[in-house]
Amino acid sequence: MTQLPDGRYVDDAPFDPQASLLEVERKDLDAPNWLLVWRKFRTHKLGLISGAFLLVCYLLLPVAGFIAPYGPNQRHSEHLYSPPQSVNFFHQGEFIGPYVYPLTSHADLENFQWVFTPDLENPQKLKFFCEGREYNIAGLIPSTTHLFCTPDKNSPVFLWGSDRLGRDIFSRILYGAQLSLTVGLIGISVSFVLGIFFGSLAGYFGGKTDWLINRVIEILRSLPELPLWLALSAAVPSNWSPVAVFFIISIILGILDWPGLARSVRAKFLSLREEEYVRAAEMMGASSGRVIRKHLLPNFMSHLIASATLSIPAMILGETALSFLGLGLRAPAVSWGVMLNDAQNLANIEIYPWTAIPMLPIVVVVLAFNFLGDGLRDSLDPYQQ
Amino acid sequence: MLDMLKPLLAAALCLAPLSALAGPEAQESKFWSSEVKAGYLPPVAERLPEVPLVVNLAAKGREFGIQGGTLNTMVTRSKDIRQMVVYGYARLAGYDQNYRLQPDILLGFENEGNRRYTLKLRPGHRWSSGDPFTSDDFRYWWEDVANHPELSPAGPPDFLRVMGQLPQVSFPDETTVIFEWDEPNPGFLYVLAQARPPFIYRPAKYLKRFHADYAEPESLEEAIEASRVKSWAALHNKYDNMYKFDNHELPTLQPWINASAGKKIRHQFVRNPYYHRIDSHGVQLPYIDTVEMEIVSPGLVAAKSNAGEADLQARGIGFRDIPILRKGEKDGSKYKTFLWGNGTASQIAIYPNLNINDPVWQKILRDVRVRRALSLAINRRAINRALYFNLAKPGAMTVLEESEFFDPELRAAWADFDPSEANRLLDEAGLSKRDGYGIRYLPDGRLMELIVETAGERQEVENALQIITDDWRDVGIKLVMRPLDRDILRNRVFSGSAMASVWFGWDNGLPQAYTSPGYLAPTDQVFLSWPKWGQHFQTGGEAGEAPDMPAAQRLLELLHNWDMAGTDEQRAAAWREMLQIHADQVFAIGVVAGAPQPVVVSNRLHNVPKQAVWAWDPGAHFGLYRPDEFFFEDGKG
Repeated sequence: MTQLPDGRYVDDAPFDPQASLLEVERKDLDAPNWLLVWRKFRTHKLGLISGAFLLVCYLLLPVAGFIAPYGPNQRHSEHLYSPPQSVNFFHQGEFIGPYVYPLTSHADLENFQWVFTPDLENPQKLKFFCEGREYNIAGLIPSTTHLFCTPDKNSPVFLWGSDRLGRDIFSRILYGAQLSLTVGLIGISVSFVLGIFFGSLAGYFGGKTDWLINRVIEILRSLPELPLWLALSAAVPSNWSPVAVFFIISIILGILDWPGLARSVRAKFLSLREEEYVRAAEMMGASSGRVIRKHLLPNFMSHLIASATLSIPAMILGETALSFLGLGLRAPAVSWGVMLNDAQNLANIEIYPWTAIPMLPIVVVVLAFNFLGDGLRDSLDPYQQ
Repeated sequence: MLDMLKPLLAAALCLAPLSALAGPEAQESKFWSSEVKAGYLPPVAERLPEVPLVVNLAAKGREFGIQGGTLNTMVTRSKDIRQMVVYGYARLAGYDQNYRLQPDILLGFENEGNRRYTLKLRPGHRWSSGDPFTSDDFRYWWEDVANHPELSPAGPPDFLRVMGQLPQVSFPDETTVIFEWDEPNPGFLYVLAQARPPFIYRPAKYLKRFHADYAEPESLEEAIEASRVKSWAALHNKYDNMYKFDNHELPTLQPWINASAGKKIRHQFVRNPYYHRIDSHGVQLPYIDTVEMEIVSPGLVAAKSNAGEADLQARGIGFRDIPILRKGEKDGSKYKTFLWGNGTASQIAIYPNLNINDPVWQKILRDVRVRRALSLAINRRAINRALYFNLAKPGAMTVLEESEFFDPELRAAWADFDPSEANRLLDEAGLSKRDGYGIRYLPDGRLMELIVETAGERQEVENALQIITDDWRDVGIKLVMRPLDRDILRNRVFSGSAMASVWFGWDNGLPQAYTSPGYLAPTDQVFLSWPKWGQHFQTGGEAGEAPDMPAAQRLLELLHNWDMAGTDEQRAAAWREMLQIHADQVFAIGVVAGAPQPVVVSNRLHNVPKQAVWAWDPGAHFGLYRPDEFFFEDGKG
């Protein structure tokens, strides 16, 4: 460091006009792939928000029982078709904290509806961390503490109303998420893993492997599905719960569903493997697995992500599709598809519109998955502008 | 029986000279007046039988109506246009509203010791085509259809066989038909009054053109060719569908005739110009000129009724649609929703399968203590409140109040909510070992998981089972509900794979002494508690298993007693003992009975009873209440 006569400091090292430029670029070029993807993804605001939302959703799944005030099949026989209650803070101009007005019901035999009258004199303050029906945290640890409840057991709180057996729709949506957001996606995961694996093997190696995999695909595609389901419905032990049946079925669905994806992966790989960078990697002694994972798949990731996120809505809505054979999800299992199926009639929409509330989480989650997929697709190609 | 019917016959015969002398003068209908003027149809006085059936509406507490209007109604499958035969309910003899048999198409009938039945036709009665309706139409059916080896390979229908013997049928004159057996056949006339009757007559003149014994061989050959069937018998059967009602050319005796050919979304039925009933003002029935039946998907019936698109509708809507129907009334649709009673013995009944293949479960389900405990553990009041607004009647499966055999004790038998008694009975039955959750163990160490299979069609069944699941858990039984498809469910029960299933109770909850108690005895596999005993009876012992429980054997004995009985007292005694056995043995666990059936009736439609029973048999749904007497205000609808 040298001080010039006019008081400025100057570095003694010789000036290299390229250095600063190179340093930035090198840093970018040397950065790991995930960092590049993350940087790009950060700029995609919608995708970022959706991702955060889904993350929160999945984090809440194990503790859904804690947030839900009631069990999924807990009936309140005095509160059938209770409308949603609003949580208020000010009673007669005075702040008393979150409370609800208790509802009492009577049957209106003229119109055949339950009529609810709120008791405006006795606001019920919500209690927090109270005892209730037992549930399992993450399916393992038994607990009876719930986030909130009403002090009086006989006037329960229904944030989103109750259904025809007096079950709390809010609680059911939370429990339903446990199924709809997990088991429903298993089928997709299975078919993706299998499709990518066999597709890339066939595309990359070609020759006998390709021939063999193609014949397997053709055999699978030619299997008639309905007789298969019929045979399965006869084979499934009848004391299995609907969830267990559905779990197995979605895995089998996944196993049968991969050929379509495998074909498109194979076609893409057939052309990509002739690229020079693939040759280069091979020359440098990279193993086949490394070439496929590091050099070929990323080229193709955006397509995969897009098709995966697009098939999620179909999966959630298709939960109940095979019910007529006893294979789909049905009561007493609680899932969004089951709840929506129950709400599908005119009476529900006209008279008890809140029973269609499960539509909302489906719409929101499906949109979130699509935005997330969109963001991921854009950012997985960090070099592309 | 004879004593009961004699006054009826006398009354019917007395009616004849009276109406012929001082009968009302028949009035021409507007609907057919242009045809009459043009000479295509004879005037109404010539179209009616010489002795029409004169309906005294005032005596029935009904209004006199005027002709005209179009009645809109809906069905859910295209084959349901046959409902017009059910609703029309023109039978040789039909039930009146007190479930007494009255001659309808017949002028009268005579019954001698249940062995010899003389049917008297109305002279001058004509088919809707204008051809005379005579004993020759019965002869054609008996000789050329029922006993023709090609048309009926299995011979005449079963209800005509008594101990395997067919009747002697004779046709002394144009208006008389005689059926005669050696042994009594008490059910004969009642079978003719069913919602789906065996038609023992055919429009001979029309059908002869398809019959090889009568038709010209060349024209028959052509007709076979044209309709692409294999033989003349197939051709004949294709056009001979008095119940299916799908051949618009086939003459009929029903109040409305099918006026649309082929499969359509809307079917039209127009008034039968030759119908045999008139009101005492001389207006020929039916009052309503045309009926339009629309075929809609099952989910839409309630919605379309709510929008006021039906003038008369009960099929396709159920208890759970009442709120939406009432809301439509309030919102200004021009109809009323009547709540009728329901004729099935039970809305929801659980059938433990006594013929299940699993030997351990079979032993348990055959233990009457277990069945009683299952019944006692159900909180029927809660189900009634949650699903039926307390309007149905909680209780075991038995006949309904309208039946002469109703006994409140039978309904209350083993139907109180008593979990402690249920627990005691189950412990007594050797199922006292329980696991950590309180679920009982079977003798072979499995958990007591009772799988109840349903047809998956009715939401109220699912809801009720949800409540029963909680109730049964309290007595240590885990209920696993398994919704299936209707046919899969039946096949699983029939083969003995299903443990228990849910269905309606007996179809006929309103039996009288003359109703055959066949459905109470193990004679049919459709009673889902004893599929194999039913198969054994139905196949004459070729399939299934013989009943090996004393109670079931006793039921068969009692059925035989009923068949052989000479008096109504003996029949009633058989009925009462059979019902007692059912109540005591809990072969099927009834949950609630008598849930109201909504009936949508246009504000302009008159004479539809406010209080009535919606039943298939006896009742023929609307048929018993004679829709031909319903009419539109001002004749416009």
